[in-house]
Amino acid sequence: MPTVRLRAAAEYPPAAQKLFELSSSWFNYDFAEPPAMSRVMAWDIEFGGPHGRAMKRAMAPGEFTRGEKEMVAASVSGINACEY
Amino acid sequence: MTGDAVWYEAAQVVGITNALNVAADTLGALGAVDDAAAPVEARTLFAEIRDFYQSDDVPQGFRFIAHDPAYAADVWAATRHAFADNRLARRLKEALAFAVSMTSRSASGAAWHLSQMRRQGVSPRGVMEIVGVTQMFSSYTKIADTLQLEPDMGNIAPLDPSPAPGGR
Repeated sequence: MPTVRLRAAAEYPPAAQKLFELSSSWFNYDFAEPPAMSRVMAWDIEFGGPHGRAMKRAMAPGEFTRGEKEMVAASVSGINACEY
Repeated sequence: MTGDAVWYEAAQVVGITNALNVAADTLGALGAVDDAAAPVEARTLFAEIRDFYQSDDVPQGFRFIAHDPAYAADVWAATRHAFADNRLARRLKEALAFAVSMTSRSASGAAWHLSQMRRQGVSPRGVMEIVGVTQMFSSYTKIADTLQLEPDMGNIAPLDPSPAPGGR
């Protein structure tokens, strides 16, 4: 059970709606509601904005492909024992 | 990165890397097995390890566990299999091991796999890509854990219907 009440996308201001659109595009998946983490990061755009940009920059294809980076991310999550 | 086989390979790399780092970072009190004083089984093992990594060094974890050469040889066989080119290239496997070592705060593991990434042709730019992913997901995972978020993206990837190797 999350520590916080995750707000529905409709409860967020327009700037956050833009983030949700980017999130859906990033995952190339039509979510019924944005993923929980997207809604968490949209809570405070001054944190979520730069954090999201750093994440996107890190995950963008470069010398390693996006898929390879997703695998690195999954490994990091595994070592951190993060179920999410 | 579709299909389960590549994920099994990645999991092997993550697991055995963690196992080696655990030994390398904690067993100093055992003392490292030195080539000069090592039994022939251990020297043979060290030679295989040097050959695989094309390095004069043997990772410290193996030197610590080589007090039991038969055990160390089995660990090495699993390690060599996990890191060999297969569906995933060794270059990516070293990057995974580097990320695992960073995440688990293994300075010795990070240094070793950084050197191996470079040997596999990863540029400084490529190294920073892995640093970025590792660092950002170290943030992401802790935010998710602090707020006890429940997984909600696990079913967006298709299931792999293929059988286990050799099965049908």
